Amino acid sequence: MITVSGLTKRYGDRTVVDDVSFALEPGTVTGFLGPNGAGKTTTMRMMTGLVPVSSGTATVGGRRYGDLPNPGAVVGTLLDASAVHPGRTGRMHLQLLASVIGVPDSRVDEVLSVVGLADAARRRVGGYSLGMRQRLGIAGALLADPPVLVFDEPANGLDPEGIRWMRDLLRGHAARGGTVLLSSHLLGEVEHTVDRLLVIGGGRIVADGSVASLLGAEGTSVRADDAAALARALEAAGFHVQHEADGALVVPGAEPPAVGAVAASAGIALSDLRPVQRGLEDLFFQLTTAS
Amino acid sequence: MTADDTPSTTAAEEALPMTDTITLAPPTAPGRPGLRRTVPSLPGLTGIEIRKSLSTRSGKALAVATVLLAPVATAVVAAASTEPLTAVDGPIAIMGLLTGYLLVSLGVLSTAGEWSHRTVQTTYLLVPHRGRVLAAKAVAVALMGALLGLVSTALTSGVLALMESGVSWDGAPRAIGAAVLAGAAFAVIGAGVGAALANSAAALTGLYLVLLGVMPIVSTFEPEVANAIDPANAVINLGQGAEQAQSAVNLGVWLVVASVAGWIVTHRRAVQ
Repeated sequence: MITVSGLTKRYGDRTVVDDVSFALEPGTVTGFLGPNGAGKTTTMRMMTGLVPVSSGTATVGGRRYGDLPNPGAVVGTLLDASAVHPGRTGRMHLQLLASVIGVPDSRVDEVLSVVGLADAARRRVGGYSLGMRQRLGIAGALLADPPVLVFDEPANGLDPEGIRWMRDLLRGHAARGGTVLLSSHLLGEVEHTVDRLLVIGGGRIVADGSVASLLGAEGTSVRADDAAALARALEAAGFHVQHEADGALVVPGAEPPAVGAVAASAGIALSDLRPVQRGLEDLFFQLTTAS
Repeated sequence: MTADDTPSTTAAEEALPMTDTITLAPPTAPGRPGLRRTVPSLPGLTGIEIRKSLSTRSGKALAVATVLLAPVATAVVAAASTEPLTAVDGPIAIMGLLTGYLLVSLGVLSTAGEWSHRTVQTTYLLVPHRGRVLAAKAVAVALMGALLGLVSTALTSGVLALMESGVSWDGAPRAIGAAVLAGAAFAVIGAGVGAALANSAAALTGLYLVLLGVMPIVSTFEPEVANAIDPANAVINLGQGAEQAQSAVNLGVWLVVASVAGWIVTHRRAVQ
């Protein structure tokens, strides 16, 4: 549905997006993850024609965004929720969008209900909270019920309930065959929403895969009163053992059941056994220093 | 407007519960049936731009002020003046110019206002052909400028008819025409400069500094030069039937330079 190929943005001799390529398929939610300034927003703005590309292409259903006959009917975009005239009411803002996209005014009231803004619809946007503006932006993106949703940091300003609501919205959209790309700088906001992670750092895609494959159990942390005996048993079983400063043993690449089995057969009582998960910060650090 | 400007509402009218549950129709590529296939026609977009301009309190207030400023000023001047007026064409043209100065803001807010409020983002997401949007804005502010100028001038003429007796109305139609033209032209000039500077405050300050600061100085010291470059002189001359060709060229150059500058910058500028 969306194909991005070699997308690059240079400002002078500074490259902010460097040869970014990916393809998004219908029925999936893809998380576009990276620290602030990594190039997420610039990539999304190039995909939607707002920022001219230095090189590369981005297409939606085989067409450049700017060549879509009615782009608002195909791609629902939420980029900057504060980009609304503060003097208009939420309803008027959506009515203007609706008349450009070509959906009836009745649809405006529907999406206002969907995002929970029906009661605030006749108030001026200047009085909205950040979370309400975010919801208004999502309402605008949903007006045409488009097959593609592109959301930049949609969780900004949403409370935990709002983040869960958005997760259901995006999962539901993908379940109905939609294509979703959402960006975030916080893994926790998206890890339960997305099927796939595109990790960007320094303008380059540094990792592309499922959440589990990128952030899954990396090893096992284990504690025993007789740590030395446990370490000998694990090494005898062929595992590499790291001694942590706090007395715990870390067995890279091992699942907790395998470590437990070794301890049991050696007759060693364990006081703690848990998988070690990499945090997003660790992942970034590892990926960006390796590249 | 064409027939497909009225989209079918079958899919969109499905009842939605007022809850968090999302039950929209399944999305299908490339867009659901029943939706309009293309962006609106130029007349359609022009109508939307007019609605945009009048959808804010500041826009409505500006429109009201534009209509009322000239007749109120006319009444004040007529009441205070002791010298008898000989003809109405001069006052009508001058009051039309005053209205035009206000309509500059209408044009600036239509283009630069979108950059200042960052609403260009949604505007160009929905209609990526920026030239099309700009053309619609130019037509929209020209129509609004002409209409508001006409209403204002009609009120001004009414005030003159009530308060001045024994004056010549010979040149009135020509002066009213010049006032309406000034309304349209100044609004389009504002829109062009607004698009070129992409910042309301900068465009308003810059334009009023030139129109109300620099140009009067030029008029004082070099009246011939002012006739050629000051759009105010062009409007007053057109209203009084003097220097017709030069005045038309003067206004035309302002319109073309502002529009071309706005066109170029709008196409090159990234929406950040």
